[in-house]
Formats: sequence, C-alpha cells, structure tokens
Amino acid sequence: MSGRAKRRAFTRRAFLKGIGLGSVGATVLAAPPSKGTRPAAPAGTGRTLGPGAVAITLKVNGVARTLRVEPRVTLLDALRDRLDLTGSKKICDRGECGGCAVLVDGSPVLACMMLAVDARHRAITTVEGLSTGGRLHPVQAAFIEADALQCGFCTPGFVVAAKALLDEVKTPTAEQVREALGGHLCRCGTYPRIVEAVRSAAGRKG
Amino acid sequence: MAATRKVKIGTARRTETIDIRVPETEPPIWDADAKLTVVGGSYPRLDGAAKVTGKARYTFDINRPGMLHGRILRSPHAHARLLAVDVSKAARLAGVKATATFESPTFFAALDETDESGKPVEGAGEKAATGPRRILFAGEEIAAVAALTPDIADDALDLIEVRYEPLPHVVDLEDARKPDAPKVFPDGNQRPATVWSAGDVEAGFREADAVVEATYTTPVALHNALETHGAVAEWQGGKLTVWASTQGVFGVRDDLAKFFKVPSRDVRVISEYLGGGFGAKFGAGVTGVVAALLAKKAGAPVKLMLDRQEENLATGNRPDSVQWLKIGAKRNGALTAIHLRSYGTGGIGGGAGVSGPVRMIYACPNIKTEEQDISTNAGFAMPFRAPGFPQGSFALESTLDEIADRLGLDPLALRKTNYIDRPNKGLMEQYDLAARAIGWERRRPPAENAAAGPIRRGFGMGTATWGMYGGPPADATVTIHSDGRVECICGTQDIGTGTRTAMAVVTAEVLGLKPEQIKVVLGDTATGMYSPASGGSVTLTSILPAIRAAAELARDKLFRAVAPALAAKPEDLEASGGRVRDRVGGRSAAFTAAAARLKSALISAQAARADNYPGVGIESFGAQFAEVEVDTGTGRVRVLRIAAAHDAGRTINRLTAESQVNGGVIMGLSYALLERRVMDAPTGIVMNPNLEDYKIAATLEMPEITPIMMDVYDPANNAGVKGLGEPPVVPTAAAIANAVSNALGVRVRDLPLTPDVILAALARKEQA
Repeated sequence: MSGRAKRRAFTRRAFLKGIGLGSVGATVLAAPPSKGTRPAAPAGTGRTLGPGAVAITLKVNGVARTLRVEPRVTLLDALRDRLDLTGSKKICDRGECGGCAVLVDGSPVLACMMLAVDARHRAITTVEGLSTGGRLHPVQAAFIEADALQCGFCTPGFVVAAKALLDEVKTPTAEQVREALGGHLCRCGTYPRIVEAVRSAAGRKG
Repeated sequence: MAATRKVKIGTARRTETIDIRVPETEPPIWDADAKLTVVGGSYPRLDGAAKVTGKARYTFDINRPGMLHGRILRSPHAHARLLAVDVSKAARLAGVKATATFESPTFFAALDETDESGKPVEGAGEKAATGPRRILFAGEEIAAVAALTPDIADDALDLIEVRYEPLPHVVDLEDARKPDAPKVFPDGNQRPATVWSAGDVEAGFREADAVVEATYTTPVALHNALETHGAVAEWQGGKLTVWASTQGVFGVRDDLAKFFKVPSRDVRVISEYLGGGFGAKFGAGVTGVVAALLAKKAGAPVKLMLDRQEENLATGNRPDSVQWLKIGAKRNGALTAIHLRSYGTGGIGGGAGVSGPVRMIYACPNIKTEEQDISTNAGFAMPFRAPGFPQGSFALESTLDEIADRLGLDPLALRKTNYIDRPNKGLMEQYDLAARAIGWERRRPPAENAAAGPIRRGFGMGTATWGMYGGPPADATVTIHSDGRVECICGTQDIGTGTRTAMAVVTAEVLGLKPEQIKVVLGDTATGMYSPASGGSVTLTSILPAIRAAAELARDKLFRAVAPALAAKPEDLEASGGRVRDRVGGRSAAFTAAAARLKSALISAQAARADNYPGVGIESFGAQFAEVEVDTGTGRVRVLRIAAAHDAGRTINRLTAESQVNGGVIMGLSYALLERRVMDAPTGIVMNPNLEDYKIAATLEMPEITPIMMDVYDPANNAGVKGLGEPPVVPTAAAIANAVSNALGVRVRDLPLTPDVILAALARKEQA
C-alpha cells in the first residue's frame, strides 16, 4: 500500500465517500462538533446513485439550483466549486473545525461531512443567505461592531452556528455560547469577542 | 537634506524633549504633543461586512473560467532516493489535463536560491548535484497533476507510480544528535553553534548570592493558518497572474519571475483577503511554483490549495528546543549572569535559536548564549509569530521566578530590579497596569498555595519585547477625486491584523475624514506601490509613514485648489471634521465641495517611507499576568484570567489592536497547554497532521482576557507607530507556566503543560 493510500484509508471522509450512497452513513458522520450542532434527519431514498455524475437539485438560500455531481462530492465542494458559493470555507475537510457550517432545514451541519446527494430535498442556507436585501443579520452586524473577526476565514462558520444558536436560545449565557461554538476553530484568536458579539446580537431584531 | 526637529518622547507618566535629525521632506512627527482626532480611536474593520457575509474572496475562493484543480503527490518516506516517477497512467485518466514530475535534483534549485523561506537551506547545494534526487522528509513533493475536478485530481495521484530506495532516517531531536545517527545532510546533523556573549558569565556567577540552573523543553508547533497555502495561477500570453495566499505579494512575484525567467513586470500577484499566515507564508514556495507550472502546461488556470495534512507536513513549523539555562543573582534580585545553551530542530531547515529574550529584556552585565540547529528528516521550519521568543521567554521567565522564590522575592519586584530604563519605554507602566488588572497582590508564595487542597490557584507573569521596526522601501499613493472620493493605495497585504483599516485611519486623520470614507486598495503588485512582506511586525511601521506623507501631499494640493474660493492662503487651511477650514479667516467648505474645486478629475500624490530616525527606540514592550487553576488529581490546567498590557508606539486603531493582543494571548495559551507535533520515530511520519489530533485552543479553553493598549511616544517614523503582531504571543506561555508552578510549588519545565507533565512534576515533588 502506498503512503498515499494509507492516508486515505485513515480519513473519515474517504470512508464516508467510500460508502457511495451513504445517506445513513453521512448522517451519522455529520454528527455535531459540540452540543450546539445537531445531526440532520436522514433523507435516504434507498436508491443507489452513481458512481458517475448524477443530476441533482439543491435548494440553496431559497433558490433551486440544478447541477451534476458524482455521489462522492461533498455538499461543501458542490457549494464552493459548482455553485461558486465560497462563503463556506474548506479548512480541515473532515469535520474538525466548523468552518463549513451551513444550515440544513434550519440546523447547523458541517458541509464537508455531508454528501451533496444527501442534501437534496432539504433547505440549505449558507452564510451568503443570512443577509437579506443588503441588510445584515444581527449576528453579522454584532460581529463587525465587536471586532469578532481578524483574518475572517473562520468567520462564516461561526456566524452560521451563532445564528442557529440564537434561533434556539434567545438570550444565551456566555457559557452556552462557548458550549455551542466549542467545535469551531479560529487561529487568530477572536473567541472572546465572538462570545461578546453573539450575546450582543441576542434579542436584536433580524 | 536633513533637518533637526524637536520631538517630545515618553509616556503619559513622563515625557522629555529631544532633538532628532530627519529628512527635510518629512511631515511633522506625531509625537507626544500631536493632537490627533482619528488616530487612536476604535474603528470596526472596513472589510468586516465582506467577511461576515461570505463575500470576501480569499485565494481559496477564486474560481476562474475553465479553471483546473491541482494536487501534489508527496513522499511517504522520511528519507529515500527517488528512482523513478511514472505519471503515464495518471495522464491518461479522463479529466486530467497536465502532469509534472520533480525527479531532477535541481528542479527546485532556482527556488532554493530565491525563496525567502530558506527551504532546504542545507539541501540547496545538494539539489544542484547529479544523480537521483534525495527525499529528505515525508511530505516532500514528488509529482503533481491538474484535472477538471479535485476528485479526479485525487484519483490521478493514486495512478502515479513511484520507485523509492528508502534510506535510514532520523526524526527525533535527541536521536539526531547521536554520532551514529543517519545523516540528514552529508556533513551530519549538528549545525555549527551560534555563540554570543557580553561580559564574563563565570565572573558573574562567582558574584551571585543565588544560582539556579535547569533544563527546559518546548515542542515543535504547527502554524495551522486556517487558509492553507496555495495559489490560483493563470497565464495569458507570456504574462502570469497569481492569486496567492501569501504574506508578501511582492516576494511571490519576484520568486515566480525568477523561476519562470520572465520579467517581474509580467507577473502580477494578488492577495486581497488572506486567511492567516503567522510567518509560514513568505515567497512563492513550491506550491506557488507548481500551480504556475501546471497552469502553463495545461494552458488553463489552475487552483492548487493544499489540504490540512499537507499544510502540516510541508509548509513550516516552529522548531522545538532543549534549553539549559543558568542564572545568577544578588540577594536583592539584581542579575549577575545568564548562560543559555540550547538546541532544537527545524527539520531540514534552521531557525531553532531562542536567545532573543535572554539578550534583550533584562539588565544583566554578563550574558552568554550558545545555540545550535539540529537537522532531522522532518518538514522545514518557517518563522512562527515571534520566532524563537515564546520558547526563550518560557525558559527565561521560569528561571527568574525560581530565583525569586529562592531569594524570597516577589517575581514582579525582581523584574523591576533588573529594568532597563529609557524615557521612550512604557514597560514599567505596563507592569503596573497588568498587575492591577489581574490582582497581583493576591499572589501567595507556592508553599501557601500547596496547602490549599486538590484544586490550586497560582499567579505568574512574563515580559514581552520585540525589536523589528520596518523601513524603506515602502510606497503609497493617496488620490482625491473631484467628487470627494478618496483612495489610499499600497500593494501590501492584510493578513488579518487590520492593515486595511489602519491605512484608512491614517489617511482619514490627515484629510479630516472618517475611516469608512476612505477606499483602501491593497494586496496587488499591479498597484506598483511596494510594501515589505507582512512579517516581523513591520507592516504598519513600514507603510503608514509613507501613507501619511502621501496623504499630506494630496491634502496640500487640495488646499491650493480650494484656497481662492475661501479667500484664504493655502498654508492657513486645515482639514478636520469633514471640512476644509481657514484657521485665519474662519471660512470653511465641506470636503466634497472643496474637492469639486479641483480643476482635474483627481489629484494624486505618492510618497516613500523615509529611513528610521536615528536616536529613538525600536522595541515594543508588554507585560502579561496569568491566574490559573490546577487540578492536582487530574493534572488539568485551567487558565482563569490573563491581563496583557502592551504598546505599539502610538496606537492607530484601538479596537483592532486589542483584538491582536487577544489573539497573541490565545495563541500563546494554546502553545502552553495543547500544541505539539508528534512524529513516529520508526516510520518517520507526522502522527497528528490535522486539527483533531493537533489540538488548538477553542472557546472552551478561553480565560477572561483583559487587553490593555497604552501609547508610547517613541517616534522612529513620522507616524510614531511600532509593531504589534509578535509581542503579544511572546510571554503568554511563560506567564501561564509560572502561574502553574506557583500553584503547585514545583517547577514545570516542559511544554505543553498537558496533564502528564503536571502529574509528573507533582510526583517529582513528592519524591523530593
């Protein structure tokens, strides 16, 4: 076995992709990085797709988009490479960092841990879909005001997860925010101001 | 021509006026007397909206029409001869558009000469040799492909056939020092030691009332900027455009021009948004070259972004260290001698020196440092936020605390006893500010803490310093349009520090506007406005003086255009609060109305960074204090609070400066408690090249952090600004380790302070 093959054998995403269809597998593996992120409900059709490209329709930010992807393509790659929605970031590509968080039917999901084919028939909201009509979501406005970002590469994931938290808990405590965002990584060190921003956004009108 | 100017230097607590010689063309220096209305305020970053909405396009996000995706095949062997690479099957795979192999030992030789990273510094000579290429670490580049999708590119890599002749390797620091260790380079693994000395350390130790000596170790750390290294390359005719995730667009441009033997004017490098760098992203590097090579071969744009594993194998790291430190002091705490002997490995690169803090921070008449790089079959080191300083600070500050404990002195008092005083230095005030913020008076001697029960609290502190200061060349242009729009243009890059916003703050100060009214153009070599790479805390110190000078020239042109309408002399005009006002006659006009008086569509002024002024300081300082809680049952350390008082000369944007202090503290905390690259000696591979097993701090590890920015008036340039990127990461690990030792009553001498290290220290204490 080559070193490269060895590497692939040990990645969870390779395993996930290897499942091929993998509705159930994808759902299990899209498990939350923290208490704040819930697994999406399975949407398995039981029909085998692939291995070649198949046409699928994704409902992203309220718009139905049709594209052709191989079943192994993750939702993250489909969004970024096929639909040019690059707000969701590819940082670890194996569910370790939260940078690719999107909302699937309102719940935060790591787009690198879900296959695009498993996202059919779901409502997908990316960071690009949070601001409406040029108006920032309160979480986004609060992030800017509190300077809860530096390089900004982790920011979309945090913003999406924070929005999901506030949808569920109207006025979270600092501890609840830390718990909910505990699976998201930032290397510039913006965490204190992120917690501040999320709490400040709580209760503001969207 | 030089002119003598009077400047007031110092801090809020004390100032003094000195004469300095500056070029005649320089604007009046922003010294202690300067009355500024915009600079020093708190401003949300100008690119905030682009970043929170996902609209900001980082290099990773650039999608070009017809773009291909590149992938690199890397060596699984830590040391091997590369006998043959066969890409024919990969090339035949549907969707593969280009392949490249790197069998020739001289393939990257041109890059070795020019790459700022110094990638295989020691191997550069060998790469010019004939015969099979020797692979020096697991993760070195073997071949590359470009294909229609990333998945096809991945498939293609699996079809590449490579024959290696594995050679014995060594990846462990101590193993590499043994005489019979496999040789990484033909002349062995021990590089010549670097020796520096002042005074006579042996005489110093004889004068000492207390002498402490101990050995400290620190781990190899990985940068892990969240955006990996990579580039998107596109050739049009003989001209190359590259979007690069880089801290230095001009360095990348020059590397690529040299590698592809084209004039640098035919290479354009863009980095509008950058997902972090921390020192690992200088120069085109192999990644940039391979992207451009594949694009050339395929005749199509190629995106080549590394994955997280590659990022952690082959793009840089902070070397580890073993530091033997011996310090002598008089009964009152005055230092008499410091002797440091250290070694560490930057893999096949260098840079394991740690002596900066020992040589720079405290007054001591006798200092000797001996440092040595050890070569191993591991990825090369790159500068990592304050290279050498967090390691050196950990050993130095720990030993000073041990001396203080031995002499029954307060650790802060001991630092103050050895203070190097200067009027243009705010460290003494920073000590007091941070000590007050943490409640230093609550610190108890270790023996008292040890009686507290299983959960113990402790306090510790450390000092930050950093001494790079930037300088020319750095150029900027400020343009005022007749409709009132203002542009500030400099080719520099914003690595997340807030460079873009700071540029706007200075321009707004000069023109009497608000920062959000300034359009900033950066991250593009096509601006022609040169900037040094953003590393070493030199970005603002280099570019802001040029920006300020350009803005003043543009403003003066505006004054000349509007003076007749205000019946004023141009020299009597001032710009403030969005208006141009006659100080004598009192008439004024809105800035936009003044701009409408221009007889051209725009006026533009360019200026260059002058040399640093002689006779003023170059260092930034800081003091950090930590309070921790240690569970002696589990060995778990929880950092409760950190107070960090810093200066960057004159603070430009308080909001983003505080963020940068927070960031340094958090990175230092992560280094202190969690981070360590683990290599497997038998196979020579990195065991944790990902973000799960290589743990970095997240929200649940966060203490309460109090960032305190103070102004120090020490103008070595017209803006009076100093560097802030590196200093906040320097003393954090030291302050935490000192707090842990204070809590436990036994020194912890090994980073990271994982539970096993804590429990081992406690066991040592019980045995003693």
